[in-house]
Amino acid sequence: MLVVAIDIGGTFTDLMAFDDRTGRFSDSKALSTPNRLVDGIINCIRKSGLESGEIDELIHGSTTAINTLIEKKGAKTGLLVTQGMRDVYIIGRGNRPESYNLFFHKHRPLVPRHLTLEIKERLLASGEVLEPLDTASVETAANFLKDKGVEAVAVCFIHSYVNPDHERRTGEIVRRILPNAYVSLSHEILREYREFERMSTTVVNAYIGPVVGGYVHSLKNSLADIGFRGELTIMQSNGGVMTPEVATARPVAMMESGPVGGIIASARFGVALGYKNVISFDMGGTTAKASLIKDGETTMAPGYYVGGYASGQPVMLPLVDVVEVGAGGGSIAWIDEVGALKVGPHSAGADPGPICYRGGGTEPTITDANVLLGRLDPNQFLGGEMKLDAQGAADGIKTKVADALNLSTVAAAEAIVDIANAKMSLAVREVSVAKGYDPRDFALVASGGAGPVHVCAIARDLHVPTVIIPLFPSNFSALGMLVADERHDYTRTYYTDLTNVDFTHLVRVYEEMVEQAGAGLRRKSSAQYQVHLDLRYVGQEFTLSVPVTLEQLKAGDKQGIRTAFDRLYEHRYAHHSPEEPVEIINVRVAALGKKPQLEFPRLGPAGQAKPARTRKAYFAEAGRETECPVYERAELGAGAKFSGPALIQEHGTTTVMMEGDVCTVAQTGELIIRIRGE
Amino acid sequence: MDARVKEANLDPVTLEVIRNALPAISNEMAADLQRTSYNMMIYEVRDYCTALVDVNGDLISQNVGGVSHFVADLGVLITDGVKRYGANGFKPGDVLITNHQAVAGQHLNNVAIYVPCFFEGELMMFAIVRAHWVDIGGLSTGFGAGPDVADPWLEGLQLDQLKIYDDGKPDETLYRVIRDNIRFPESSLGDMKSQIAACRLGVRRMEELYRKYGRPTVVAAIAQIAEETQTKCRNVVSALKDGVYQAESSFDDDGVLKDDPVRIHAKVTIARGSMTIDLSGCSRERKAAINSRTLAGARVAYKAITAPLEPVNEGSFRALNVIIPEGSIMMARYPAPMVNWSSIVPTVVDTILTALAPAMPDRVPAAHHALLGGAVVFFGVDPKTGRRFVVQSLEGGGWGGRPSEDGESGTVSVCQGDVRNGSIEGIELKCPVLVESRELRTDSGGAGRFRGGLGIDLTVRNLVEGRWNLNQPRRVKCAPWGLWGGAPGGTAAYLLGTPGRNEWDMVDASRHPVPAHSRVVVRTGGGGGWGKPVARDPKRVQWDVVEGLVSREAARERYGVVLNEANEIDEAATRALRQRLEAQAAGA
Repeated sequence: MLVVAIDIGGTFTDLMAFDDRTGRFSDSKALSTPNRLVDGIINCIRKSGLESGEIDELIHGSTTAINTLIEKKGAKTGLLVTQGMRDVYIIGRGNRPESYNLFFHKHRPLVPRHLTLEIKERLLASGEVLEPLDTASVETAANFLKDKGVEAVAVCFIHSYVNPDHERRTGEIVRRILPNAYVSLSHEILREYREFERMSTTVVNAYIGPVVGGYVHSLKNSLADIGFRGELTIMQSNGGVMTPEVATARPVAMMESGPVGGIIASARFGVALGYKNVISFDMGGTTAKASLIKDGETTMAPGYYVGGYASGQPVMLPLVDVVEVGAGGGSIAWIDEVGALKVGPHSAGADPGPICYRGGGTEPTITDANVLLGRLDPNQFLGGEMKLDAQGAADGIKTKVADALNLSTVAAAEAIVDIANAKMSLAVREVSVAKGYDPRDFALVASGGAGPVHVCAIARDLHVPTVIIPLFPSNFSALGMLVADERHDYTRTYYTDLTNVDFTHLVRVYEEMVEQAGAGLRRKSSAQYQVHLDLRYVGQEFTLSVPVTLEQLKAGDKQGIRTAFDRLYEHRYAHHSPEEPVEIINVRVAALGKKPQLEFPRLGPAGQAKPARTRKAYFAEAGRETECPVYERAELGAGAKFSGPALIQEHGTTTVMMEGDVCTVAQTGELIIRIRGE
Repeated sequence: MDARVKEANLDPVTLEVIRNALPAISNEMAADLQRTSYNMMIYEVRDYCTALVDVNGDLISQNVGGVSHFVADLGVLITDGVKRYGANGFKPGDVLITNHQAVAGQHLNNVAIYVPCFFEGELMMFAIVRAHWVDIGGLSTGFGAGPDVADPWLEGLQLDQLKIYDDGKPDETLYRVIRDNIRFPESSLGDMKSQIAACRLGVRRMEELYRKYGRPTVVAAIAQIAEETQTKCRNVVSALKDGVYQAESSFDDDGVLKDDPVRIHAKVTIARGSMTIDLSGCSRERKAAINSRTLAGARVAYKAITAPLEPVNEGSFRALNVIIPEGSIMMARYPAPMVNWSSIVPTVVDTILTALAPAMPDRVPAAHHALLGGAVVFFGVDPKTGRRFVVQSLEGGGWGGRPSEDGESGTVSVCQGDVRNGSIEGIELKCPVLVESRELRTDSGGAGRFRGGLGIDLTVRNLVEGRWNLNQPRRVKCAPWGLWGGAPGGTAAYLLGTPGRNEWDMVDASRHPVPAHSRVVVRTGGGGGWGKPVARDPKRVQWDVVEGLVSREAARERYGVVLNEANEIDEAATRALRQRLEAQAAGA
């Protein structure tokens, strides 16, 4: 089987392919073509030399959805709401997370007020009809939106999560009157209470729907034109993939698919190496991202705010939980007005880039510091394709940082790297310690162009014993896409006391959700379903998602569910209340279409690891310049073993090992590093 | 440079790492508290603060995003506690609880819990959490107590620096006294548990920090960070012209003594980077429960203009001198009643900012609605379940127009940061009410070159009988004012419609009993306009009319913009009308 993953990034479109018959990987890179992304994809396939007609599956991660929203290039959208609720979407939650900022902005609505129309209808929280749907008011509204040239319509009625009938009928009428419009009904996107968040998620879906739909359509056509006959799949924010049809109906589900490929890969390769508990650590040009994997499973967040919590648009669909900090290779080091050294969040990006890139950058960056410390080889960057300006980096650090702090240039470079490491450690702490997990029980899997450079220092800081450098660390996201399963998440509010649950009814709801979630799966026959209940103590607002089994639901195992909740609560918050009543808020179902496992090749026989050369490098622990051995990763055989300090050079990155770290090469080629040899 | 800094040999890396770590600890405490709390005042309204305070009462760090008027006000509690017990009077397993107004100076619902933090046997600091309990006993639940609650005994249970855990052992007697004297004990005691857990978390994190960097380094870093923060704030003030700036506003009355306005006055003196905010001109303490002991008004205003996005520590206010004489409404003497302690604070903030407008014209907005709500409070017993319920939500109002943009609509006051309104579906899931509408009120934003934001009308029908809190807001005569020629915003009110009556009534009462199927409109004010309305771009006025934020009549009367039925601008008529309005204004 030939599977191909194509990941669109800001600068490059990456392709990664694997043929399990020959055991061969291939990859290619082409410049992204922001105005016609599809062209970049076709170019990339052409450049790879792969025969389009032989590709069995093509998995695609795209920034189309998120860019359409951020650049405000979505469709002209109308919104239909329950009477009295016209301003719910504009008002939002009325909060000001930036407490002292007199110039704060709340979210900027994607639908103007005059295209938000009220429909006569009202449901109670129980789902009973208080006022029946007035279909005439729907027709009037739809005709008004038609006159205004609206291209997409979102519908969100109060309590539709419990009874979607009014929304469904409204959808039918709107589709009849506006046959070409893209229609999103809130209960189809998110059957969860909290009207503003559901409304916002539905509006975002409608707003980006026509653009993403058009994109998927043109991608399919262009691929057909070059002879592609295989299956096309699209990456989602929840770490799974979906068919193009589902992507067209729920484009909002692909919004944050960018970082998840690497996290899926961390989970998969961690398990393959015997590490079920890992923290994925990805560091690129502008940010670093951390995400926790427990028992081989990614951790999920219930939703997020596009553009940040303070002023962003809420999108409440489950996504892989990622903590991001503004520290990447291009992050700028600067001195603030009172003389304190700061790193980031401003980034020199790819253009002008770090000083050493010779692209006109004048501000010292983390990459410049790494070059000065000898950790990056100016002559071997990107396999030597790009010669770096080490002297420029040194001059920049001296004038902008070292002189101001009265430090030597080397000490200033070390300070820049140390501050960046501390910032990234906080991100790793946030996904672990802050949620009750001890990082010492995890291994760190490093990816991204800068991840392997910094990971051993971060591991030391947090007492993480093991670091894994996977194959293709700078192409890791695309690699993860190759192995991602199909996945669909559905949530439904089901509000009741745990003591009074009608489990027969709950099982029926579960079956309905399974049917809905399974419908979008290509691999239905091998589908697996996971169930979680969102539980809380009566009186609380926030919930914990507790995994349960279908058997537990069928048997009405209240005690088992209750105990699991208390245990999880204790783990998370270090206290619990076994005597307090517990209530159910939501049911969550994830449908997984498991993909056949790819058999990855093994490395050649173990050989003695020999450094290719040495290079001068600085390490704070040594306190001086050392002659550091440099290994070429491509020359390392399975079972090879060596100790730090050492640098391991490969095409897209360099792994930096400190004094005392011990590296062993796994049978499948990953570098397993024991920090301090422990 | 501070002597301690040299001694500890504080390098820039360690300093920066500790600078990031300290607010991260307070924020982690806050996240822990919020997710485990039982009452919406904590998890939705975020009416709490989490902090680290040293033995002298100096603030080391405080969470970001909580209620703003809790800024750096915990020091007095610690100073008082240390005075009572002595610096040697604390043991590692102690947990203290206090809400006593003689020192705390806020309503009794705000219960502070704190835990000492030791390192190598030495008392280093305290982790402290102040949070709004849903009930503290007394006359009524939640916000139920109105301005007529005449003293702290009517208000509820007074806890004066008591150890609820002594050396790790819980005081069962105290616990039972609390449990038996508050409504919803399961909720408040659940919150207390969360507060204690959050404090212990903060202590644990500080111990880790001391262990990692050593005691002298952490101590030196804390001092250095405060010093730098002070410098940053001072730099902002240094750029302002030295001088004395004043402004004044008022509340119509205090809710008990009618027709006696409550005067708010701010005199701000800027002299070479230092700022003195003198609130001596404000009203004396009142018999009505709008008293407090708080520097919050001055501090929130100072923070907003110096370093709004930076974390808070003691250095944030070192270059600020606040004068409030004993016996003032904001420095009231025990046992002056304090149920609605914070109700005047947002207006105090606006008054200080307005005083400063001539010194920093490009950074001061017109006045905002300045009320802590639209507070929605309805309570009773659900006949179906036999359980007590409380509906609570805080609805935002309009913010003032700003020097380069319109004010935001429907947003909480300057004293409430990340306070969220109740979700309509969430309210209806839990309580027997129907929220009929939550809508922006057309024309409630003050006219101006940059328009004030709009206020809200929230209409609620109670499906069972119960009691409403309908204390009328007292900022009608002094509506949210405009700046530089802008017009004031609309004013707030509560309207009650009982079944069988065709009119809305302006009831002014706490715990007002109503029959089932009564309706209440919770109306919030709009923001003032910034700059002259006739200077507003007619296209913006036109868009506001299309959007229904401004009526066609108001476009004509207030802005001098003439629109036809199709909302097209009549340019000639607009020009003529604007000239006339300008001339009228000049003549007046």
